Amino acid sequence: MTRTPHLTSDGAACCWIPLFPLRCETARQPELASLPVALAGPDDTRRVWQVSPLARHAGVKPGMTVSQAIGLCPALKLCEPDPVHYDAQFSRLLAALGQVSPVIEPAELGRAYVGTDGLERLFGSPQQIVEEIQMRSAECGMRNFSEGSFAPRNSHIHSALRIPNSALRVGWGRGKFVSWVAATRARPGEAVIVQPGDEGRFLAAQPLAALPLDSDTHRRLRQLGVRTLGALAALPEEAVVSQFGRAGRRLWRLAAGRITEPVVGRVAPEPIVAALTFFSPVAGRELLELALDHLIVRALKDPRRSGWRVQVIRARAELEQGASWLAEATLKDPSVERERLLAPLKTQLERSPPAGAVERLVVEFTAFAPGTAELQLFARDAHAAARAGRRRALRTAAQEIKLRLKCSLLYHVIEVQPWSRLPERRYALIDFDT
Amino acid sequence: MRNGSDRLRALNVQQQVIVELDARGTPTIVKRETGNEKRIESIGETWRIDDEWWRVPIVRRYLEVIVEGGGRMVLFEDLKTGEWFAQKPT
Repeated sequence: MTRTPHLTSDGAACCWIPLFPLRCETARQPELASLPVALAGPDDTRRVWQVSPLARHAGVKPGMTVSQAIGLCPALKLCEPDPVHYDAQFSRLLAALGQVSPVIEPAELGRAYVGTDGLERLFGSPQQIVEEIQMRSAECGMRNFSEGSFAPRNSHIHSALRIPNSALRVGWGRGKFVSWVAATRARPGEAVIVQPGDEGRFLAAQPLAALPLDSDTHRRLRQLGVRTLGALAALPEEAVVSQFGRAGRRLWRLAAGRITEPVVGRVAPEPIVAALTFFSPVAGRELLELALDHLIVRALKDPRRSGWRVQVIRARAELEQGASWLAEATLKDPSVERERLLAPLKTQLERSPPAGAVERLVVEFTAFAPGTAELQLFARDAHAAARAGRRRALRTAAQEIKLRLKCSLLYHVIEVQPWSRLPERRYALIDFDT
Repeated sequence: MRNGSDRLRALNVQQQVIVELDARGTPTIVKRETGNEKRIESIGETWRIDDEWWRVPIVRRYLEVIVEGGGRMVLFEDLKTGEWFAQKPT
């Protein structure tokens, strides 16, 4: 496992593709670009999650029930969510950005920060670096919904570039906040560059909504007559702190451009993946839980996991008819205990089960924390140590058999659907060494 | 079912057999693919399974039979294709 040190950069380029999942669908099915499209929610398929501009024009809004949306827009094309595909596309985008800079920090689906410190020696001016980012990301094929529907923009204190038909907006500035606000000001395919020293002036003109505010704080600030970041920054810092506490200090400093949050590159150990293909699609929750448990055990045995505890676990499923399902959990306390890894996936499976029968199930450990709680040397109970010893001996014997016969002839019998009326569906064999 | 470390192998998969029927449609002889042929002495329980109607429907007529020599077998007829299969009794 590679232990990449943290890479940081104060200079940031925020790359943002709004409605990323919906754009993934239109990239996959270009005929959707001219239709009113809505995407059903990955957690609740009865509600609309994302809405294309044409559908929004017809009155469809995110969060509506599907029946309300179709009532408002009978021509609405509703797409089932395919989170695995969106995830794969976002990974492509991150990989493309990774060709520009080694410091990449994903923020959410469709938004990532690129560390820009030191890139001028490679690519030249900020404009040239942004151009490189846009050219690399253009290979991912994320296009705008209504191509050519906007006019070139006149910039004021910051310059702008434009890549026709691209959906990517780039914001350049010092720190993540300035670059994010700049990206929200950019039009599709364009970039807004905030030159060093101009941060205060740029932020001062931005609306209050640019800050990460809860609705109550937003309402209170508006009641105080604060409409822009400049108006907030003009207030004495201590006065804001006395009204809004520690959160207020952070908001004031963001508004005044006093905080520079660096881009932190990902620690990227190789993910550990375990997969299972069912011989017939499976819809039963109990069986899926059993399969998840089996895959977690298998992934935990991977030698690359040694010395690391699992922090992020992800389960994804390929469903019948090409759809997919994805569940991800970040553990507050990284663990190597299968029950603790399984529990959040079981909860998600219960809360938002796959929309169809599962053909293939994959468990991935994608982030790790150093350290391990499993030192056999200090095993508390001798029986557990003896069991571990027997398992090791059995594994060694199985490996020897495999070496001699060139194939594995040892299997576990596992319950698949013991309640099935079809005898061949009840039990199955799986390789002993998996 | 394909082989591979990430694949499950189903247990008790049905084996195709050839079944000869008498004039009333009652099985009389069962032949395995190996050529092994056995006369059916008696038929015990029969039952029917209708399953997976939501996907590719499975419709089977099962018969528990005693073959010559006293062996017990479970046969079923796939009512969609008319093919016969043997499966281990469970």
